[in-house]
Amino acid sequence: MAAWVKGGATGADTAIEAAAALLAKARAPVIAGLSADVAAIRAAYDLAGRIGASVDTAGSFGTYAELGALSRVGALTTTPAEAVGRADVVLVVGAAPWQASLLERLIDAKPTRGRAAGSERAFLALGANATASLAWPAEGGLPEAVGVLRAYARDHLAGDALPGQIAARLAAAQYGVLLYDPAELGEAGIEMLQGLAMALSETTRCFTLAVGGVGQDRAVVPVSAWLTGQAPRSGFGRRVPEHDPWRFDAARQVAAGEADAVLWLAAVPVARPDWLSAVPSVALVAEAEAQAAEVVISVGQPGRDHGGVLWNEQRAALTFWPASAPSNMPSAATVLGALTERLAAGQAASRSEPAC
Amino acid sequence: MLSVIRGGRVVDPTASRNSVGDVWIEDGHVVDPQSRAPDAVIDAAGCVVMAGGVEVHSHIAGGNVITSRLLLPDLYVSEAAPEGHPFAHAGGAAAWIGSTYARMGYTTAVEPAMPPTHALGTQLELADIPLLDRGALTVMGNDDQLLQLLRERQGGNAVRDLVALSVAQSRGLGVKCINAGGASAFKDGALRLSLDDEIPCYGLSTRQIMGSLLDAVEEIGVPHPLHVHCNNLGLPGADDSFMATLDAAEGRRIHFAHAQFYAYGAVDPANPGTGGFRSAAERIAQAITDNPNATLDIGQVVFGQTVTVSLDILRQFAGRKGAKPKKWVLNAGDAEGGGVVPFLYRPRGPTSSLQWAIGLEIMLLSTDPERTILTTDHPNGGPFTQYPRIIHLLMDKSERDREIATLPGVVGERSSLPGLEREYTLSEIAQLTRSGPAKLLGLADRGHLRAGARADVAVYRDDTDRTAMFTAAKLVLKDGVPIVEDGEVVEWRAGRTLSLAVESDRAMATRADAYLTERFGAGLDSFAVPDAAFGEGTETFEAVPCRV
Repeated sequence: MAAWVKGGATGADTAIEAAAALLAKARAPVIAGLSADVAAIRAAYDLAGRIGASVDTAGSFGTYAELGALSRVGALTTTPAEAVGRADVVLVVGAAPWQASLLERLIDAKPTRGRAAGSERAFLALGANATASLAWPAEGGLPEAVGVLRAYARDHLAGDALPGQIAARLAAAQYGVLLYDPAELGEAGIEMLQGLAMALSETTRCFTLAVGGVGQDRAVVPVSAWLTGQAPRSGFGRRVPEHDPWRFDAARQVAAGEADAVLWLAAVPVARPDWLSAVPSVALVAEAEAQAAEVVISVGQPGRDHGGVLWNEQRAALTFWPASAPSNMPSAATVLGALTERLAAGQAASRSEPAC
Repeated sequence: MLSVIRGGRVVDPTASRNSVGDVWIEDGHVVDPQSRAPDAVIDAAGCVVMAGGVEVHSHIAGGNVITSRLLLPDLYVSEAAPEGHPFAHAGGAAAWIGSTYARMGYTTAVEPAMPPTHALGTQLELADIPLLDRGALTVMGNDDQLLQLLRERQGGNAVRDLVALSVAQSRGLGVKCINAGGASAFKDGALRLSLDDEIPCYGLSTRQIMGSLLDAVEEIGVPHPLHVHCNNLGLPGADDSFMATLDAAEGRRIHFAHAQFYAYGAVDPANPGTGGFRSAAERIAQAITDNPNATLDIGQVVFGQTVTVSLDILRQFAGRKGAKPKKWVLNAGDAEGGGVVPFLYRPRGPTSSLQWAIGLEIMLLSTDPERTILTTDHPNGGPFTQYPRIIHLLMDKSERDREIATLPGVVGERSSLPGLEREYTLSEIAQLTRSGPAKLLGLADRGHLRAGARADVAVYRDDTDRTAMFTAAKLVLKDGVPIVEDGEVVEWRAGRTLSLAVESDRAMATRADAYLTERFGAGLDSFAVPDAAFGEGTETFEAVPCRV
């Protein structure tokens, strides 16, 4: 196992000892990234719960746009396989979804199930696009454009201007799908988009579908919900899970000087944030470099070095990925477990010291 | 180690025990009384000793449950973590579910709605519920793969093989169908579906789909009968759907989920949508008496804020306008998907009061409490944490009268509850919450205290305040190990997930793999629930044999 402390190569035990010491000293530790398999995500939450850390994810910008809208207005959604199998009209919101692999599957096939089976699939776009049969440049921004469509769908606007045509086409669809990337559309836009799907489903069927996302955020959300009853971002410093997307934003906590240690978890590679070097930090990463953090421990990549449960984008579900190239790299879950054990032993020792 | 629970009132209706006596335990099981000196004596004087409670229908894991937490982050209250577990007092979390059930003396709980497409996520979540043994029912009845088989009339063997494969792949304990065909119909624009309505694009009816699943379950030998969520839940006249479904079962074993929500007779049968409903509890209770192969669980309503979660997306879509607070989530997913609609059972509201009365009525009119099992369909009728209060109301007529006195007159006008004198005995409570559900699930080693039973035992201080008595057990043993003492968890151990040992047909596996690859771009492997997903050295699952 490769490990470094302050840039110097060292053994696993020394590195875990150093990581434990770094976290034990911290008053407001943060565990961030969480781009990992379910076993490691669980282990990270267990550690956070036991040391009172807060938790944030690698893709929380988009994830929170989604979660914020969800908790305020709800959602009307479908899945990738249902979109491919049933959608006769697809509205692509913005530029990002055109890059998603789902788009290819949608373009390559016609609907095969349900009442739209056998019909052609039409593509509409918000944002300039050459592939779509109707594309509205939406120069005022996506949230506003979605709002205009919604106004047409609810008969608050009328006429055959381009957005009116798009709204009419969606209303005439048998199974419409609104594709978007949460990080691109943002919280206000997502709320508006859910409202559009709900308005259209008064008379036909229309559903939203999010694509994109960073790291394993889509695995973290359910695991966090079942372990703590709450979505990320959350903190455990007061021994109750507190869900607060502003307070527990890791970047903000570091910038404000609130966080005094960070554990960065990226067993599934994601870009490392630049604020990591601003605080004493531990990195558990699959693509390890000596300078990544004060303490760096190289871990296996789930689905490659060892088996693991990961978000399967195509299936929109958690699925098990066996090791494709098994190695003896330790899993992030194992390292986190060792770290928790070390910290728990330290806590027990400090409790048994006489009060002075 | 040999131990004895001494001097408690032992209540085990399966052995006609209801008197002060001892329960002997060795190696995790109940044993016959021994002449040897025990290694440990547990004093149960002044206490009631029962088998651990068994839950047959409580939504404790899966996509809808997760969505409900995201939609309503403030539904539950969290308290500071206890020693030994960071999240056991985190309201609504898996550990909170496990510890809250355990404190009430429950030791087994079944999640009734596991979609095969999301089996692994559901099973991982269940495995994180500590203290209890768990299980999940595999949901079928809306998926295109099954509906295609039926449309093409491929015969009972093909259906049986697909059901067996789905249960084996998802590692379910039984099979459930939820408004069979309803989710599919919803996606094709339908707003309502009854037993013989045609499901668009398939030319099938609920009767045909459910009938094929009833047969498959029998042929495979699933111990738990098909667990059925009928059409038209919650609508005036739903009692007709219930009766029609019972008739359609044609004497085959069938379990009706949350029957209270169907015990709504239309006040004006000519205009069921407008005239409101009256209790059909007598009709439902009589039907269960008359059909020994039928069972039901209640789905008792509890006053207050809750959230409804269901794979019946047709029903959840129809219910969206009653959402309180006004937000809801509906996922038109692979097969069923799911719907999450927050709901307030308004304290002292006329509708909620009548619903509350009907659930109690069905139990009080029951001639066989083992076949009319207590549930709240958590969280749909209300949280499972209200079981102690419901037991109190069943056991104490004066307590019921006090509550009824605060409710609107509709309770007396449209239900027979105020006139029911019956008070449940402790033996009947044990039937309702122990022996009945264990028999229903086909778990012969639970729900009783005869020799050979698993040593899952709840010891309660006998107290006329039954709410207090059943909220916090004095002692709970799981497999002979004390997990709760004086209402607090003392040992954070993991239970097992019960899953049916069922062989799947190789030819069907090959066919399913091809079908799934075409539809999902990923084959049968991506639907698997392998041991390796639960961590090395952990034994998460325990096999339950099929009936012979």
